Amino acid sequence: MKFILNTGRSITQGRHVEHKFHRGYSEETSTCFIHPLDLLDLDMEEGEHVEVTSECGSVVLRTVNCEDLRRGMIFVPMGPFANHIIPSHTHSTGMPDFKSIPVELEYTDAERSTQWDLMEKIGGQRYEKM
Amino acid sequence: MTELLIRNACVIDPINDICGEIMDIAVRDGKIVESVGSGAEVIDAGGSLTMPGGIDAHTHVCGTKVNFGRYMSPEDMRAGRTARRGHMHATSGYSVPTTYGTSYRYSAMGYTTALEGAMAPLEARHTHEEFAYTPLQDMMANTLFDGNWPVMQAIHDGDIKRVAAIVGWTLSAVKGFAIKLTNPGGTEAWGWGKDVSSIRDVVPHFEVTPAEIIRAMIEANEMLNLPHSVHLHCNCLGKPGNYETTLETFDLVPNTNDKRQSLYATHVQFHAYGGSSWRDICSRSEEICRAINQKPQIVMDMGQVMFGKTTTMTADGPMEFNLYRLYHNKWSNHDVELETGSGIIPVYYNRKNLVNSIMWAIGLELALLTDNPWQCILATDNPNGAPFVKYPEIIALLMSKRYRNGVFQTVHPDTEHNVPLAALDRELTWKEIAIMTRAAPAKALGIVDIGKGHLGEGADADIAIYPLNINEIDPAKAPEEVIRAFGQTDYTIKRGRVVCCRGTCMVDGENTTIWVNPRISENHSMDHDPEFARNFDKNYTIRMRNYPVQEEYLQRNLCIETEARL
Amino acid sequence: MKKCDVICPFCGCLCDDLEITVEDNRILGVDNGCTLANAKFMGKERLTSPIRRTDGGWEDINYDEAIRYTVDMLLDADRPLLYGWSGTHGEAQCIGVHMCELVGGIIDSTTSVCHGPSILAIQEVGHPGCTLGQVKNRADVVIYWGCNPLEAHPRHMSRYTTYADGYFLDNAFRDRTVVVVDVRETETARVADEFVRIKQGGDYAVLSALRAIVRGKGDMIPPSVAGVPRSQLERIVRMCKDAKFGAVFFGLGLTMTKGKYKNIRNAIELVDELSRHTKFTITPMRGHWNVYGSNEVFTWMTGYPYAIDFCRGIAFYNPGETSAIDILARKECDACMIIGSDPGAHFPRKCVEHLADIPTVVIDPVPTMTTAMANVQIPVAVSGIDAEGTAYRMDGVPFRVKKVIEPTLPSDTEVLGDMFARMKEAKGL
Repeated sequence: MKFILNTGRSITQGRHVEHKFHRGYSEETSTCFIHPLDLLDLDMEEGEHVEVTSECGSVVLRTVNCEDLRRGMIFVPMGPFANHIIPSHTHSTGMPDFKSIPVELEYTDAERSTQWDLMEKIGGQRYEKM
Repeated sequence: MTELLIRNACVIDPINDICGEIMDIAVRDGKIVESVGSGAEVIDAGGSLTMPGGIDAHTHVCGTKVNFGRYMSPEDMRAGRTARRGHMHATSGYSVPTTYGTSYRYSAMGYTTALEGAMAPLEARHTHEEFAYTPLQDMMANTLFDGNWPVMQAIHDGDIKRVAAIVGWTLSAVKGFAIKLTNPGGTEAWGWGKDVSSIRDVVPHFEVTPAEIIRAMIEANEMLNLPHSVHLHCNCLGKPGNYETTLETFDLVPNTNDKRQSLYATHVQFHAYGGSSWRDICSRSEEICRAINQKPQIVMDMGQVMFGKTTTMTADGPMEFNLYRLYHNKWSNHDVELETGSGIIPVYYNRKNLVNSIMWAIGLELALLTDNPWQCILATDNPNGAPFVKYPEIIALLMSKRYRNGVFQTVHPDTEHNVPLAALDRELTWKEIAIMTRAAPAKALGIVDIGKGHLGEGADADIAIYPLNINEIDPAKAPEEVIRAFGQTDYTIKRGRVVCCRGTCMVDGENTTIWVNPRISENHSMDHDPEFARNFDKNYTIRMRNYPVQEEYLQRNLCIETEARL
Repeated sequence: MKKCDVICPFCGCLCDDLEITVEDNRILGVDNGCTLANAKFMGKERLTSPIRRTDGGWEDINYDEAIRYTVDMLLDADRPLLYGWSGTHGEAQCIGVHMCELVGGIIDSTTSVCHGPSILAIQEVGHPGCTLGQVKNRADVVIYWGCNPLEAHPRHMSRYTTYADGYFLDNAFRDRTVVVVDVRETETARVADEFVRIKQGGDYAVLSALRAIVRGKGDMIPPSVAGVPRSQLERIVRMCKDAKFGAVFFGLGLTMTKGKYKNIRNAIELVDELSRHTKFTITPMRGHWNVYGSNEVFTWMTGYPYAIDFCRGIAFYNPGETSAIDILARKECDACMIIGSDPGAHFPRKCVEHLADIPTVVIDPVPTMTTAMANVQIPVAVSGIDAEGTAYRMDGVPFRVKKVIEPTLPSDTEVLGDMFARMKEAKGL
């Protein structure tokens, strides 16, 4: 099903800005807030995972009901999960589209990655000494 | 110990009454001395014109509003850029250059000291940060009090000692130099989108008039024994017919100080308009200068307009909005809580435009009609009337009737019906130019005693050597020589070392910030006034304890301590 | 011991009334702070030594090695990017500009992924603004557009708007009308007097409709604009025109969405239009505590607020070309130094990928997502906790953030100052 993805701050994301290796950060930024009726249309229940696909990639997120949203829109707190599928072009403004991104949602039984898995996938090296 | 000897200098030093004598200047450890040893470094001036370093008594070069002028104007930044070279950092900008750009260009013109014309106390840290990156000039900051709530409340209560105590506390807290009033009362009214239209209007809520603010501040200024006088940007700037407001304001000024003026009226060109609309605007420079000639207690600067592109920026928020509605270019505004306002718009002064032509003429008339050059300082209210790099052209216009007439031929043809300029034959002398660009600013700012604006023994060795022989050049006949010479010194010497040689800056430099600290008795100090502190913390969005500018912002600095008479 | 009037180095509000309890050089408690401030002051997971990436892991190295690595990297590079800066103090930013000038690199701050578009709009039409105290003391109408202060700037409403006492308002909470415009019904929307819910991407159209109504051309507006009924738009315009002092605050809902800087331009022009009727101001909700400081510093030193390229000696500015995202996405830079920000978490994947391909140094007190992409990370004291320096609030008011505990690590200024000194020496300056 087609959706519009918005990313942005949330207070939980903000609390973890300096604690990004925590599980809480990974949890919050891999959350897909979605209208309950949309979830119903997807034939899914809250807490199940979706694969979110944009023009430049896919990422697995956990669904959470949110009636603040209009139908057809999902919200993902800013972070490495959302950015995994955000296109890098800026329309010559320096600013990529962090909001209003067309995406496709599909149920998946795949597990979510951790933040470090995502970084390693693109050549990074986890730091977990803390 | 470092020593320097400048030989064969043709010196004009009005404060010491030296006019065109060929002499040697000896310098030791940054100060002028009687003589130096044989090991001193020698510069042969070869008979070139040598004067104290230039002093800009009113310029906008550092702080929140100036930086916003840069921030909003990449087009201006692109209009003047140089790469890093030797000791010189990269620079950008034409009318609002980066701090390094400002510093290098002033230095190339022989300027060694400048007064930032308007600093909002709340944003003082910003001004001081930029001072640190203006390395080749000594800097001072006019501190804005035009809409200061506690000051207006104390004026309303008739408590002049409290006015002085608040001003003294603030100047010392923000490391300011002098009291600046910009459209007094008007900036507070602008907090509601309004303005005042005369010195008798009442400021909303505070129930005081601009006239009361001006008078009280002049009195408070003298109680605090400040080196400079009140520095006033009159009400009604830029409005046709405003010369009456200006004259009424001049009539408020007592003669209270025998060392200097009691009021510094800045950029008076913008305040010398007759007429009732843009259609019948005309020059009232004659009336203004008649008043100045009768009132030694007032010193003004020209606020000269020169044709071309520039950026206007002032604490006078409502004026900028009016100007914006004429120009429709772009407009920024920044009101500062409990204190003042500000506005910025880019402008183009067009010689084909009648109003702009009249403005151009008025500035020159003010200089030519003021009998005593100590009362009229050369400035453009940089960058409002023109960027300071235009000063050499202004000097040429004042020194050469022929050059003036030539330019006059190119302006709007109706200008001559609205201004007296064409009838003025006066041509200023080298000495008068020296007075208007260094001696008078030093005297008006009250910094002669700390060694500025002259070359007497003990003075700071801030010296400008211009590539010009005044005995060979007739400025009336060779204006292009005057423009060339004042555009770039052979040597600019600051604190005894050559900082700029033929346009190339030779050192990284380090500025000195000059500020005042009026000593106020404990029982009058705002630090021990619970009511002041309570209202401060209630009304500002910064805690009183976080407000003062910390010592860290003053690297090299010179504090003028005064004894307040409270 | 309680330290009073401490300034919070988290968001652009720079609240300066925190009370921090300190014992034995450890922070035990934070009073008056929001949840974000608490998390920052109470954070305990800092790196204690520079680290270097090895084959499959990390090793500790000393400061001298880490600094030498960085200096060599920057001097070797053809096109280095010096990015971040919003999480450090102004004095460090100044050194950064000098370093960048010396190596002919590109310097950019988080502005380019935050309010960069707002700056582009301001460069077109200007910015009618004010300090936050003007709003607090005067505003009777406050509009939050595309921002969610309760989550991103938690004390904004209690210090500067809705819940703050105002000198000219008898009962500030009752006398102020708060309007929230958003595509989501956020926490902030729920406490507003009026919530305007617009369809995704409809900001430009709604702003244009409001401008038309202000100009008396409401009859040309269709019954609904981007999901907002005309009657609501008319009501809002009436409210604005009747206001004694109106204040608009806007956030990334306008800068990141379709239209980008054109949205902001339209919002500024609405404020400009309203200024002909009453007093109106507009202020961007700046995110990082000192992102505005990076703009101020870059501007007085180079002439431009962000995205500055020194490769030709002069300062050159062209966001979209010289901005960090574009430089990384085009794989143009060949070395990167990152300070006071976390592009690993906040840049699109393609940009982050390039960081893994080039030498990258991170200067940051804590491990972040960018750590994973770094060759070397240099931990530093936290500005505002154990280092002091200048920060500019979202309205341009400068503060000096304080040191509440004694540092055990060098500050950003010390680390960068050391690097710059070595770079100058290497260049024979």
